[in-house]
Amino acid sequence: MSVLTNTAAVIVTFNRSAKLARVLDALAAQTLKPDTIYVIDNASTDDTEAVVAAKAMPSVRYVKLPKNVGGAGGFHEGMKIAYEQGANYLWISDDDAYPEPDALEKLLDGIQDFETRHKWRPSFACSRVEWIDGTLCEMNTPMPVWDWPRFLRADSLYALVVSCSFVSVLIPRWAVKEHGLPIADYFIWFDDAEYTRRIARSYPGIFVPESRVTHDTPENKGVNYSLVTEKSLWKFAYGARNETSFHRRERGIVGVLGFANRVRTEMKRGNVPWSIRRRIFGAILKGWSFRPPIVQV
Amino acid sequence: MQDSTTVKPHIMERQAYLQKEVAEISAIYRRCFPGHALQLVVEEGDDPARTDPVVLDAGQAVQAQHLSSQYLGRIDLPGPHPDAPVIRAVLRIPRTPTKGEIANAEAPWRAPRVLRPLFRVAPGAYEYIRYTAERFRAGRIRRHNWKKLPFGKGSPILVPSVQPDAAARPAILIGFHWLEVGGAEKMAFDTVNWALAAGLRVFVVASVPSIQRLADRLPDHPDVTFIRLDRYLPPRLWPLYLERLAIEENIRLIHIHHCSHLYASLAHLRVSVPWIRVLDSTHIVEYVDGGYPRMSGVWSNYIDLHHVISGELVDFYRDRFHVPHRVKLGRMLTRHDGEVALPALNMTVGAKVLRVAFIGRYYYQKRPIVMARTLGALARWARRNGVELRATLVGEGPFRREVEQLVRSYGLGDAVEFLSASADVPGLLRKSDILLLPSNNEGLALVCYEAIEQGCIPISTDVGSQREIVPSGLLVPHDPGAAVRRSVAIVNRLWRDGTFLAEQGAAMQACYRRLAADPTAEEVLMPIYRAAATGAPALDDIL
Repeated sequence: MSVLTNTAAVIVTFNRSAKLARVLDALAAQTLKPDTIYVIDNASTDDTEAVVAAKAMPSVRYVKLPKNVGGAGGFHEGMKIAYEQGANYLWISDDDAYPEPDALEKLLDGIQDFETRHKWRPSFACSRVEWIDGTLCEMNTPMPVWDWPRFLRADSLYALVVSCSFVSVLIPRWAVKEHGLPIADYFIWFDDAEYTRRIARSYPGIFVPESRVTHDTPENKGVNYSLVTEKSLWKFAYGARNETSFHRRERGIVGVLGFANRVRTEMKRGNVPWSIRRRIFGAILKGWSFRPPIVQV
Repeated sequence: MQDSTTVKPHIMERQAYLQKEVAEISAIYRRCFPGHALQLVVEEGDDPARTDPVVLDAGQAVQAQHLSSQYLGRIDLPGPHPDAPVIRAVLRIPRTPTKGEIANAEAPWRAPRVLRPLFRVAPGAYEYIRYTAERFRAGRIRRHNWKKLPFGKGSPILVPSVQPDAAARPAILIGFHWLEVGGAEKMAFDTVNWALAAGLRVFVVASVPSIQRLADRLPDHPDVTFIRLDRYLPPRLWPLYLERLAIEENIRLIHIHHCSHLYASLAHLRVSVPWIRVLDSTHIVEYVDGGYPRMSGVWSNYIDLHHVISGELVDFYRDRFHVPHRVKLGRMLTRHDGEVALPALNMTVGAKVLRVAFIGRYYYQKRPIVMARTLGALARWARRNGVELRATLVGEGPFRREVEQLVRSYGLGDAVEFLSASADVPGLLRKSDILLLPSNNEGLALVCYEAIEQGCIPISTDVGSQREIVPSGLLVPHDPGAAVRRSVAIVNRLWRDGTFLAEQGAAMQACYRRLAADPTAEEVLMPIYRAAATGAPALDDIL
């Protein structure tokens, strides 16, 4: 248990200044405001810097990266800075996710209340992420552990989860100290799942449904290889490479074969064109020899 | 966060914990430095046990390397006058342990990465490599000092004027190694109760910072105080603190149970508070370098009485330190009125069921892997002879997971029951034929006494003082492979040969009776405690 609650928000952004402005407004309206807000700009070419400056929020620290290192690289940098600056809790989110006014308070309350009641330390607390129409945002569905309802009661709505996305997740300092930073080399996709699974080795995270955010994505679709198209191929290819690398590290050849089989089945069900399938399998092959280092703090 | 005004229950609980610890810190430092002004920098620790307190030298300022992001604040305790010199310290308040940390002091054991494949296919080979490596290391270890530290008796012309506060009721200081599970710790807890019964106030300290899981087993009594020096005071300052404690609380007696910082404080205490009498209890001669009995022997000139639990230790003090006059044997047994009635053996010749028990912590010292391999070998023996094998294993510890897997791999999943450390041990032993104790090292295992009291036959490695309670026919070699083979051979002979079974039963009961005739620890210690409670002259007479 800690009485220290110095909280840093880490927002990674790239050429979405209008949405970022709404995120900053939402943070300014929080019932428990973060002590520091790190805006990690992935070398945006729009007016992001001017929009942030115009907000004139004293808690904001604007960090412009020299080049676009992807979401993974941005979160890696932002979390490193927040940790070095002494944050006790790191709230991680996207530049298009708007937290409800009590979203942070509920997350922090959730972690502290859980620790006090159950004498375990959750490695993270994640929000319920909704799409703009109020339905569940498919791509941000946390993955439960097998005994997810262990502490789920009418007066304690905590489900245990093993992974979640970097959209409104609160991570305590000890988890970063013990497990290091997200893998920057992933560039995009699966960095959040890998990281939360890694820190959940100490103890699973908790899903706090009372903490809500709205994820303003163009469409509400999950990450499923049946949906891969020529336009979204580049993201899926990163995802396939990164997830293969993860399975190889955690479970070896068996894990990789299982993953490859799942991808194959999904693409078959989605009737994905063979030219795309070949490139996804190529990414899986690449992932077999892709072994990015885990950077400790 | 910037604006939390509502006080929530979980926040209140954290604040209450911090305030309690701040009060403990303030009390320790106020007593240790009565003539100083104190500036105590306090941080939140991120470990449930380790705190690494730092006390800065006089005039030294706090530096950045002393601090972290977990800074909480400062406690200021004014000195007796405005010009009092300032002492600064940086202290960490440990976080409360999680349920997992309370249940398991260590993470589940895994064989070293290089040897893991070998362990999977041949755990016996792994065990032999470890056994050989340990013997090799033991032979090469840098030896500690085995010479007694000299100390004279002093002259009556130069008696210090300081006296204890006679207004306070006499008290005893009992030093634990730690407040965790263990034979020496059980003895230490017993002495706390005996000291209370003798009318002493009891102060308890522990030298090893840990979660101190058994702290709640200390009697909930206003005369018992557990002082958390292990958390908040660097070892080099223990002597200064204990001097003040002895004077202010009228400490008459110190009893050391494997508490290294108390041994290290003896020189200062003997000079500064000479009325204090010191005794210690030792249990086990570590085969590597003597362990606590060596430490005790080295400090022997500062100690009035060595209480030991085995004949081996009596001989050890006589032969290595030449102090037989200061050694008293007191067994860890309870005195029974009249002749001890021992039951008939649970095991019978040719029985169709063999019931085996193991009781101990799953740490390497108990060699749980050797125990599991013995079960595997016994299972093969049982199949050959048409016997049903049943085993009950009691305890917790980092090796338990590997033992469970080994037992399953031997096809014994249904035949072996795992129980927690809180199981009814006498009840289990009453229903068991054999107790396996393949330990790497033991003092004189309490569980062997309990086994014989319940008619269960202990089969033990020939280590420490085990041969005092276990007949030679039931002892097995230290070598892991030989221990497994010999254990099976003994069981086989007990099962087939009624004469051998009866002989071993009679021999182990004779061992028990011989030990039961010796004084018990309580009989040795209680008169000393009572004398301490009565006053100094009575204590001088007895020590």
